[in-house]
Amino acid sequence: MTARTVIVAADEPAALVRAAAQARDLGPEGVDVVAVVVAESGACLFPRGTDVTGMAERLSGVADTVAVYEGSADQCLQGIAASEALVAAAKEWAADLVLLVDGPLAREAAGRAAVRLRLPCVGMCEKVEYVGDRITIDRAVYGGAAAGRLEVAGGAAVCVLAGGGDPLDTGTGMGTAPGIVERPAPTPGVESECRLIAEEPLERSVDLAEARKIVSVGRGLARADDIGIIDGLASALGAELGCSRPLAEDFKWLPKERMVGLTGTSVAPLLYLAVGISGQVQHLAGIRGAKVVAAVNTDPKSPIVRNADYTVIGDLYAVVPALVAALSARPRG
Amino acid sequence: MRIIVCAKHVVDSTEIRFDEASGRLVLANLPTKISDYDRNALEAAVKIKESREDVTVDVVMVGGSEVQKTLKEALAMGADTGYLVEGGWESPFDPVRSAGVLARAIEEIGVPDLILVGVVSEDGYNGLTGAALAEFLGMTYLAPAVRVDMPDGQIEAVVEAGDVRRTYRAAFPAVVAVDSSANVPRLPTVLQTMKVKADRIRSRTLDDLGLASDGSAREASITLVSTSSSAVKRKGLTLVGGADEAAAALVEALEREGVLA
Repeated sequence: MTARTVIVAADEPAALVRAAAQARDLGPEGVDVVAVVVAESGACLFPRGTDVTGMAERLSGVADTVAVYEGSADQCLQGIAASEALVAAAKEWAADLVLLVDGPLAREAAGRAAVRLRLPCVGMCEKVEYVGDRITIDRAVYGGAAAGRLEVAGGAAVCVLAGGGDPLDTGTGMGTAPGIVERPAPTPGVESECRLIAEEPLERSVDLAEARKIVSVGRGLARADDIGIIDGLASALGAELGCSRPLAEDFKWLPKERMVGLTGTSVAPLLYLAVGISGQVQHLAGIRGAKVVAAVNTDPKSPIVRNADYTVIGDLYAVVPALVAALSARPRG
Repeated sequence: MRIIVCAKHVVDSTEIRFDEASGRLVLANLPTKISDYDRNALEAAVKIKESREDVTVDVVMVGGSEVQKTLKEALAMGADTGYLVEGGWESPFDPVRSAGVLARAIEEIGVPDLILVGVVSEDGYNGLTGAALAEFLGMTYLAPAVRVDMPDGQIEAVVEAGDVRRTYRAAFPAVVAVDSSANVPRLPTVLQTMKVKADRIRSRTLDDLGLASDGSAREASITLVSTSSSAVKRKGLTLVGGADEAAAALVEALEREGVLA
């Protein structure tokens, strides 16, 4: 059986390496991995944050070819350009599978490319495999209520891997660097009349995905002013402060970057302490990677109890100060 | 100015349980609703309608007759006309097919100046339907937008992605996905929803959209073949006693686990 070809792409260099490594593991027979890059004069636009030569080196051992499509830095065209590159590569290399890692550009590129290639498209994939001629996809379903296995009829698809997971900084380090082939900018199929009129960096005070310890607060908290109490506990633990979706999106008591869950940040700390959080599936989906989960809740029937290692049943307004006291009382050394 | 909001009728995700005994998801006989993320899109549309002159908001949903009451809720939020597109094949797992049907419906209704969608759906979480819809319609796609408006005969959207906030202006028409942090959607009362007259909902069959003969609208490309528990095995221990006792016990347990360092 001839080797399959898989096209891979991502918003960030480490994610692209991860996609290529996953592609390589796809089936028992060999897989040719073609990494798609959009660049302007050697500087990568998609993925962003490196140059073509550097990206190719990082793909050593996981990609066979890096296909570089010329693009422009016009911000309005990035998604369209990325999708056109995927379409061109899928056609040139007769690929059945286009595999990306989740990200803003990846989502737009995947959705557009799937339409152009007349292929189904699936997001939030944890694992993509060929079983015979069918593509099977393992992913969370219904917001994390269960783990599901999907089958794609036809054996060809555009798949977007869920973000998070261990980023691979470099390939296996063994094997040759991929060959680099250059291609001109594909003609866009969509006319976009759009202008960028302002741009500013977003202040991000924390990256919860990197935190080793997190204290997270939910609707058990009575008012915004009480966040100080939880913050005190976080300090005592040397932990970052996180929250559930209602506190960030409905009440706006904390910024979005502190939101943990399926549509917020997925976290994998050593310790996740959930205070006044009931444990909805979308929240639990974001803490699967935590080593130890502890909780404080008034309700022994709350879903968080069976999804935590240790739960204190009690009022957080009594328990949190008690925790701070117990932590300060620990002997040093 | 015309806005169309594409919204999805879904099973309330907070009610879905995985039954360990049977190894199945329990989806039957559960309450249904407008997907949370589409409520943000509806809210954004209604806010534009309330703040500007001559704006109409139509909402499109796909499904069977059970979707009528969900469409009424969208109308009670302030939309003008609801369109119910015959479905029966919907799965949360096929964004391209959903987008294809929505695109045809929009063309049949009449392409508006602005199309608003949620960033993801509450059942699929793919985040791909909006981009696929934009491609089918040959339009600009802006996502995720924390603000959207229609000043000076254009679309203005503030998009926050990665570590950057960007403001775009696009010509009519375009597809914009409204972020869940963009607004807090209004909640119509049950009475307001009940008072919505049925004649504000128009139906479209796949035949009306010229899709019946095209098998791709009816066959399933993507199927859910099995489910299993997603629960991570945890100890599930509860610590008893008064606040001081239980807190001390917790600290001790975490010390033993080696996670306090």
